[in-house]
Order: sequence, then structure tokens, then C-alpha cells
Amino acid sequence: MSANYLLKRADFIFKNDNDWEDVLKKSLSRTPNELINELISSELKGRGGAGFPTGLKWKLSSEEKADEKFVICNADEGEPGTFKDREILSRVPFKVLTAIAICGYVIGAKKGFIYLRGEYFFLKNELNKAISEFEFFCKEIKFDFSIKIFMGSGAYICGEETALFESMEGKRGEPRNKPPFPSVSGYMGKPTVINNVETLAHTFTIFKYGSKRFYDLGVQFSRGTKLFSVSGDTPKPGIYELELGMSLSDFVEEFGDDDTKAVQVGGASGFLVPRKKFAETSIGFQGKLVGISLPTGGSMMIFNSSRSMYNVLDNYLNFFAEESCGQCTPCRVGCQQLLRGIKAVKRGEKNAQYLDKLLKLAETMQFTAKCGLGQSVANSFASIVENFREEMIY
Amino acid sequence: MNATVESRVDTAIIDEIISRHKGKPGELLTVMEEVQEASEFKFLDDASMEYLSSQTRVPLSRIYSVATFYSFFNLKPQGKHSLIVCRGTACHTKGSKILLDDLALLPGCKEAFDSGETTFTSEDKQITVKTVACFGQCALAPVVAVDGVIYSNVTSEQIKKLLQNLQEDNKDENFRLS
Repeated sequence: MSANYLLKRADFIFKNDNDWEDVLKKSLSRTPNELINELISSELKGRGGAGFPTGLKWKLSSEEKADEKFVICNADEGEPGTFKDREILSRVPFKVLTAIAICGYVIGAKKGFIYLRGEYFFLKNELNKAISEFEFFCKEIKFDFSIKIFMGSGAYICGEETALFESMEGKRGEPRNKPPFPSVSGYMGKPTVINNVETLAHTFTIFKYGSKRFYDLGVQFSRGTKLFSVSGDTPKPGIYELELGMSLSDFVEEFGDDDTKAVQVGGASGFLVPRKKFAETSIGFQGKLVGISLPTGGSMMIFNSSRSMYNVLDNYLNFFAEESCGQCTPCRVGCQQLLRGIKAVKRGEKNAQYLDKLLKLAETMQFTAKCGLGQSVANSFASIVENFREEMIY
Repeated sequence: MNATVESRVDTAIIDEIISRHKGKPGELLTVMEEVQEASEFKFLDDASMEYLSSQTRVPLSRIYSVATFYSFFNLKPQGKHSLIVCRGTACHTKGSKILLDDLALLPGCKEAFDSGETTFTSEDKQITVKTVACFGQCALAPVVAVDGVIYSNVTSEQIKKLLQNLQEDNKDENFRLS
């Protein structure tokens, strides 16, 4: 079961974007169906973390009949430990803009939005300049499409797609019930494609080089490359583009500091992997036949032996308790109870078996919370408590 | 709140902001942001929210629910300078809690800090300290933003220097830090 897959670096995303005009023109000369099929055969999956097949998403929206449709680029990058989208928008904005416009052409939308998280206000001016240049070119080639930036107001939950729509409509960012899915009823109740910044940047690569080039990278079920935001106890923090499917032990060999105790894959809502499981864990989407395969929005946080896992969990739970929107009870109350619970165990007010009760609570949240935020609290909670139980108690 | 009456935003300014955004989808958030920007102490006071409600016919409860939902909106007067400490996990492991503890030593902050408030303003209304869940600069942890400028790999020493420069209105000095 050990890894036979080595770390493979790639360089697609940040390659210069000065041929965007050609890619746009070339794509607009093909039929929407051709473009959808190109995406489907690339097997690109959403890079925000959930991993929904992008081609299918576009196809579903394109089949809807409506007087108006929208394309939204989700740049509400708020997962602690993730900073790839900021880098994409500041270094290769035209790739993203081009992809938004191509998506608009495919599904029949005239308007695109970039939902930029409030903390990234410093990107806004440059991005607006790029948009002006982009829209000018669209006019020149008589392609009717406009893109606007919508600034978030500081709420992690708004990265959840339906909460994001609510926020754009001027309301509290509280997730909606699904279905209906955004491809049927999204922003303003209209069919909407909402994609992560990185996903859109990958579609640019696919439309430029063809789907085969992308499909040939990575492994089965997890095709292509992915940006990883590496931080924590590492001598080389930063953003790296790697092929999917690598094993965590190869990753740690490359990025660890020889004293790596655990890696948090996927940010606060992801999983903590202890050293003993590095070899059997690979990074990619679910469906792998052997070992564990973990999906990720790209956050890879490395902890060495000087770090207390109790402190890490405490930090995550504080984060969730603060960012829970408060709409559904399992998440609103659950986050606070988990936080109080581990504190009580640490202080000796509750015995160690109490942790098992807390694990059950986390499991209940996984099944009953309304959206991904509440459901994913159990990921980090269970993986930390189960693997580092003694650190929770003593 | 005593400050409310004196610091309410001029109704003419609110009218102007409302009329500029009328009919645009999602206008409420934008209008509220601009009203807050127009306020002298960068916060939404009760009187302004009530006026906004009466003019837009949006129930006050909804305006208030939005204001309390997003961390961007302030319901208390803000200090002249803002200092935002990133409390993301990468910053946390690299010592951002220590920076926050340092800042809690500012005069008049201890009580709010000890009671678990994540936003507190110094007695002299010069500095407001806030936290953010993650700045997305994790490779440069720990990160602090001073009046919108981001400083990376910040140490306890540097925080003291940053504060001193702010208090002496010597902000340009800060750019030498990063």
C-alpha cells in the first residue's frame, strides 16, 4: 500500500496569461457542447474542496431555460491556511476572466461576478483594471459580456455557495436548503454556475491545451494538477502546483522539517493526518481503491513535534464557533459545546470518556447540520481527538 | 451609548447613498458599508440604522441582523487606527496569540479582552484592535494589518514599535518594518 507515486511538480496555473485573447476567440468559435465535452473528458473536478465535476456543472446550467443566467467566480477564500486564490487573481487575472466569459458563452449568461472576500480589498483596484481591459476586448470582438466584483463583508460561511448568493442579494449569509441546486436556482433565483477561482484557471488550461494534456496528469479519479498552500512548520512555505495523487509521505519528505508530527489537509474543515498514516494517505478525490484519499481545497498545514494538538483543535473550534452562522441548531450549539467540552476535559472537570461523548456529538453534527460548515467540523475534531487523545487529556 | 447622538451620520448623506444604489440587487449591504464609511468613527449608530430603515422600508430587524452577521460592520465607535491580528491556524502556531496579548495591554483594553471580546479600542480612542479568522497570508505568519497595510512575520518587538509609531503619528516609519 505504500506510495509508488512521487511528487510531481507542474507549471500551468501561473504560466503567463498573455495569450488569453486567442484562447477566448478560439473557444468562442466552438459550440457550447464541444466545450462542455472537452471539460467532461478532462475529468476536472472543483478545486474549492468539494470536488464536483466541473463539466457536469456547466452542462446542467446550460440545459436550463431562463431569461437570465449568471456565472460567479467564488473568491471568498477564507479557509484558514489557504491562499492560492489570492495569488491566482493577482498574478494571472486574465485566465480567470477569460474562463468566466467562456462559461458565460457555454451556459448563455451575459453577466459574471467575482465574489471577492472583504479581507482581499487590496486586490480590488488591479482586478478592476484587468476587467476594464477585458471588457474592452469583448466589445471589440462583439461578445456581449460584463464582469463585476462583489466585495464580501467578512464572513467565512459566505464561501458556501448558497450563502454567497444570499450575501450578494443583500441578506445575512445563511445557507439555503439544497435542492434546488445553483445550476437550477442560484443568484436571484436564476440558473448559476459558481466555480472556485482555481477551477476556472484550470478550465483555461484545458481550453488552451485540450483536455488530454490535463487528463494525463494525476491519477485515476483525481486528474490534473492542484495548487497547494503550504504553511506551518516548513522551511519553504508558499504555493506549489503539484499533480494530484501524491502520497503524504512524499509530500512531507519534500516540505517537512524532518520533525513533522502531523499534517492538516484541507484547513480547519479538513483532516489531521498523524505521522503513522502518512504512507497510506494520498491527496486526491475520493474513489481511490487502496488506502485513504483525502480531498482538499489546497491547504496543507504542517505541524512539528513542538506543537500541541490540543491548541490546534482549540484554535479550530474557536474559529468554527465564531463563524457558525447560527441558523441551524446542530452547528450553532454543537461548535460551542465541543469547545467547552475539550476545555472541561483538559481542566480535569470531565473524565477522559467524555471525549467519546463529544465524538458522538461531532458525528451527529455531520449528519444533521444544514451545510458544509457544520458537517465538516467533525472531520478535524474526530481526526485530532482520535489520533492525539492523550494530548487532549494531559 | 453616549457617542450615538453626536456621531450619527448626516441624514442628507444617507439619502444620497440610498438614492445612488436604489434598485440594484443586493443594495442593502453596499448602502450599509457606505453609511459606515461616512460615519466619523466608522460605525453604524442606532439613529443612522433607524433612519436607513425608515427611508428604505427595510425592517430595522433585518438591517440589524445584517450588521451583526458580517464582521465588517461595527456597532461601536472605532479608534483612529485599526490593527487587525490574524488568528488563523498558521498564525496561531507562529505566535499570534502572544501579539494579541501584547495589544491587550493597551490602556482600557484589559476588561474587554478578558471577557472574550475580539474587538477592543484603547482608552484614548486611537487604536482599535480586531482579529480576523485568516488573512490568507499563511506563508508569512504571523500577520498583522495596520490601517489596511499588511505586515508579515511580526514579532512582539515589532508590535511595540508599530504601536509607538502609530501613537506618535509616525506611520511612515512602519513601512521600514516589513
